[in-house]
Amino acid sequence: MFEHVLSVMIFLPIVAGLILLLTPAGKGLARLTGLVISFASLILGLDIFFKFKEQAALQFVENVPWIPSFGINYHLGLDGISLFVLLAGAVLMPMVYLLFTTKEKGYYANLLIVQGAMAGALCAADMVLFYIFWEIMLLPIFFMLGMYGGEKRIKATLKITIYTIAGSLLMLASIVYVGVTYHSQFGEWNFAISQMSQLQLAGPVAVLAFFGFMIAFAIKIPLFPFHTWLPDAYTEAPTATTFVLSAIMAKIGVYAVIRFVVPVFDGEFARFALLLAYSGVIGMMYCGITAIAQKDVKRMLAFSSASHMGVIALGVFCLNVQALTGSIYQIVAHATSTGVLFLFVGILEDKMKTRKIEDLGGIAYKAPVFAFFFAIAMLASVGLPGTSGFIGEFLIILGAIKFNVLIGVLAGTTLIIGVCYMLWMFQRVFYETTNERTEGFTDLSITEGLTFLPVIVLIVIMGLYPQPFLSKIEPAAQQHIAALTKADTIQIAQSTHAQPAEGHTVEKKN
Amino acid sequence: MIQSYLTVSILLFCIGIVGVISRRNVFTVFMSIELMLNAANLAFVTFSRLHETMDGHVLALIVMAVAAAEAALALAVVILLHKHKGQLDTNVFSLLKG
Amino acid sequence: MEHNVTFLGYIPLLPLIGAAVLGFFHIGTCNRKPLNEKFYGLVACIGPLLAFVLALRVFLTLKGMPEEARYLSQKAFTWFQVGDLDITMGFLADPLSSLMLVFVTLIGSLIHIYSIGYMEGDKNIGKFFAYLNLFLGSMLILVLGDNPVVMFVGWEGVGLCSYLLISYYSEGTDNVLAGNKAFIVNRIGDLGFVLGMAFLFWAIGAGGFDYFSLKANAHSLTPGIALAVCLLLFVGATGKSAQIPLYVWLPDAMAGPTPVSALIHAATMVTAGVYMVARFSFLYAHVPVAGEIVAWVGIITALVAAIFGMFQDDIKKVLAYSTVSQLGYMFAGVGVAAYSAGIFHVFTHAFFKALLFLGAGAVIYAMHHEQNIWKMGGLKNKMPKTYITMVIGALALAGCPPFAGFFSKDEILYSALATGHVGIWAVGVLVAGMTAYYTFRMIFVVFHGEPRDQEAYDHCHEAPAVMTVPLIILAVGALLAGFLNLPAIFGGHQQVTHWLAPSLVEHHPHASLFVEILAIGASVAAFVIGIRIAYKRFAVGAEEPVFSGFSKFAYHKFYVDELYDGIFVQPYKKIGNAIRKTIEPSVTDAPVTLVSKLYMVIGTAFKVFQVGYVRVYAIYMIVGLSLMSLLLSQSLN
Repeated sequence: MFEHVLSVMIFLPIVAGLILLLTPAGKGLARLTGLVISFASLILGLDIFFKFKEQAALQFVENVPWIPSFGINYHLGLDGISLFVLLAGAVLMPMVYLLFTTKEKGYYANLLIVQGAMAGALCAADMVLFYIFWEIMLLPIFFMLGMYGGEKRIKATLKITIYTIAGSLLMLASIVYVGVTYHSQFGEWNFAISQMSQLQLAGPVAVLAFFGFMIAFAIKIPLFPFHTWLPDAYTEAPTATTFVLSAIMAKIGVYAVIRFVVPVFDGEFARFALLLAYSGVIGMMYCGITAIAQKDVKRMLAFSSASHMGVIALGVFCLNVQALTGSIYQIVAHATSTGVLFLFVGILEDKMKTRKIEDLGGIAYKAPVFAFFFAIAMLASVGLPGTSGFIGEFLIILGAIKFNVLIGVLAGTTLIIGVCYMLWMFQRVFYETTNERTEGFTDLSITEGLTFLPVIVLIVIMGLYPQPFLSKIEPAAQQHIAALTKADTIQIAQSTHAQPAEGHTVEKKN
Repeated sequence: MIQSYLTVSILLFCIGIVGVISRRNVFTVFMSIELMLNAANLAFVTFSRLHETMDGHVLALIVMAVAAAEAALALAVVILLHKHKGQLDTNVFSLLKG
Repeated sequence: MEHNVTFLGYIPLLPLIGAAVLGFFHIGTCNRKPLNEKFYGLVACIGPLLAFVLALRVFLTLKGMPEEARYLSQKAFTWFQVGDLDITMGFLADPLSSLMLVFVTLIGSLIHIYSIGYMEGDKNIGKFFAYLNLFLGSMLILVLGDNPVVMFVGWEGVGLCSYLLISYYSEGTDNVLAGNKAFIVNRIGDLGFVLGMAFLFWAIGAGGFDYFSLKANAHSLTPGIALAVCLLLFVGATGKSAQIPLYVWLPDAMAGPTPVSALIHAATMVTAGVYMVARFSFLYAHVPVAGEIVAWVGIITALVAAIFGMFQDDIKKVLAYSTVSQLGYMFAGVGVAAYSAGIFHVFTHAFFKALLFLGAGAVIYAMHHEQNIWKMGGLKNKMPKTYITMVIGALALAGCPPFAGFFSKDEILYSALATGHVGIWAVGVLVAGMTAYYTFRMIFVVFHGEPRDQEAYDHCHEAPAVMTVPLIILAVGALLAGFLNLPAIFGGHQQVTHWLAPSLVEHHPHASLFVEILAIGASVAAFVIGIRIAYKRFAVGAEEPVFSGFSKFAYHKFYVDELYDGIFVQPYKKIGNAIRKTIEPSVTDAPVTLVSKLYMVIGTAFKVFQVGYVRVYAIYMIVGLSLMSLLLSQSLN
């Protein structure tokens, strides 16, 4: 369309949101604005998708000096990895405004701001710029959770705030470290991610900086054991916030690992990949097992989401093309399936005034369309072939087997763990007999049905014909893996020369 | 000679401090603060005389003006306090207690 | 000869379209004015029948080809391709899949027709037929897929349909639980399948992942990997085909409507595991150890299931255990590398077991959904057509010559004996006797003797033609299917074995005439003994037995369900609950709680200074100012 399309995608929602907050606009106007802006973003996103070339390099680049004295630029760009996370957001966001029609002005305004900031975090090609968008993206979440959340919202807000702020500070410290190192090695200031891969990082401080980044992103993903903010936040947050958190923001965590940690800390990443992979697998199993004991549908889905994020993260740590491509594909697949499931639960809660599994039952008879859509999203979530969930999980398991047989086998158990809690929940909520409460459940309205239909269709299409998506992801994934394998061999070569010192640190850290 | 002026100033200031610390009536505290201001004024004027410049005088005049303005505001506050609690004991106003 | 055709893909597509149409209409109308049942019935039958016609066309086309190049394939589109992994949505019809194709579509069509009668009056008939069509489409994908991943699509698809149909009467908690159990247990097997595929891919997948490429590259597999792949794939097969240790879901699956039990849980889906092992015969043939394990697991399953079958009192459960038992035979067959014998048993079993289930369905239908055989009796006068067809089915199952089951079962037992697996053969003969016993126990108790529930008996009537015609067609199949593979000793040419030969990697053992006669003689003897004991005990006036000792143990199925519940299900739930109640709040929340506590402690410590009196704050100021002045004067000096 035009060359500043990424800037428009970022600032259109943010500016609209700020204007809404500062003016005495009414609820209706706020929702309408959100709807129009999100649809505009969707159109821009689709335009970007179709113009996107199947290459590994950054596209739609904008690069304007911002703070020249420190080499900080307003530098935006998209590659095959960020493209899909961006698109997932663009496709899913309009649903929120279509489905939830009676919320406060601040609710819609915050959503707009968070949408723009997420786009910014995804497009940023400069570390400082990324950090700024990352922080902007978190603020509206705190407000939405604290102002429009459920009963225990304050506690949940406190938790998520402590966690994410702690993570952000670690990341900031690491960014500064990386920038300073760059300055000392090359004699100039630069924070562009593409330049950072030339850095020779070694020694204990580099490991600390690596963990600074990793912990920040691990909190966002969330990786075990940094997940404890998630169930409370997901459960207490209003539906749209949970939706944004689970469908898009968690994915930005994974994306950031791929984009920032892998190229910059290639050596450390290869060295600690096994540890991280275990963290992903254990998180998957732990959250999956916990999910079955939950009494609240939304909380169960929260754990389910965490469980799947463990698998997605695992794909990143497996250091091969299949797993990485699978991860990125699964990011989109999971965004659609779990995002939609959270929206369904939001509708359920609005209608039934409860989320307790034991208070529900027999909804399939009262609302066949609702049940049908829910079932498809659920099956995608458990990775049934023919839905989007299968492709990603299959590729990840395949890659995990190559990486490490034990991890592959453990990752495979997601197939079993997933169905256990999902089917049991489905039985108690949708099957069995109705009670007085569910007797009055009405099916989706035409508007709601039409809102969900495109995403449901997308879930099936992505399962049956994933190749157009995969062919856009693969070049970027190939490039990352190529860089990593190179680093891996260098790492090995170095460690054979400098045996004592290297070996010592490895032992300590492991 | 200068020394006795300064001694008076310090004495006045200390009386003011003791008044602020020990008295509980808002008016007494207020008057003690005025006393401290005047002690400072005396010191200013004394030093001005000593160094034979006009700076101290100027400052003393400014302090008087500020004190007058402050008195106007402070009295209004005192009236509000009295309206609020019906008495003027400073121990009653302890909202900042942790 | 042109091998690339475009109509293969339509075979699974037709039932799938049917499912979509039916589902659309059902969802659209089920809470308003429902559509006519006949409409659903008709629409449902179109897809399977057209698929059957296409299947025949495939079969005939293949027959017209030279034997060594008998295959048709269609590469619809590249499904997904990442790095070396290149998965095509491709279909392959070779002799093996074409045989499966023909009988799956035939029996599928018959059962669709039968269901029109059986499901009459059910308000969710649209949903039922949609699921049934979806199942058939998935099954055909499973059979036709030209690489393991496409097969896996069908594999999971049939699992899903199985779940949906077992939970069909979803008001009942037990039915849904049975469905969940089926899905979850199948998923355990599927994990094996996925891992097997992964190992296979990393070993030889780079040269292409379709069966032809895999077969061509199979020789470069190391023995360890080959064994691992074979065993992992077999784990998948034990899940889908209900073998030890994953057989537990199949008996519970009888909670679904009877046509479903006939189609999915007897004739087609459960034999997918056997089909898969035969499909991968190029792997198994090179790993005798894996074959040995498969054969022993199969025959032990056959034995255990036969023991359970002898003590069941639910007509469908008897048949369910007999299915498990017969599946065990099939695995014993493919395990001793007699793949064609195993597949032939799949083929004949489909006829007679579908027949028996549909017959049982007719009985249940007539008895107003009573399934306990001890409430039936003397029904042969009331339902002659059902009786006669069921007896044919029972004879075929029990292995009476010249019915279908005799030839196929005998082929397996003979192969076991000829390849030197005497133990497997001996157990197989024992199981054959037990099969005859429990099959005729059921027949005698249900159809012979005096009615045990007079009122139900009086209301009982023969099923309508829409149900009996499929029964008769299947009975003809059960009677004659065995002659398709008549061994040389009976003057036949083993057409099925020859037909399948290009798809399979097998060596036909040559044994002496004595061995052949020994095998046949033992089978016939086992049949005669089994049926004789059953006749003595149950032909007239048998009473519901009271179990004790071993029979009680067997009646409760060796308490395996309880054991699994205790070992897997309960601990799983307990761990989940423990995490929810204790670990989540107290252990993993600890960092956050600690941080907030730390702030609280520091805050409390400083709170002491905040007394709230203006005077005290004044003191702080003065003290502070004094200290600053002191410090300043110190540093100035």
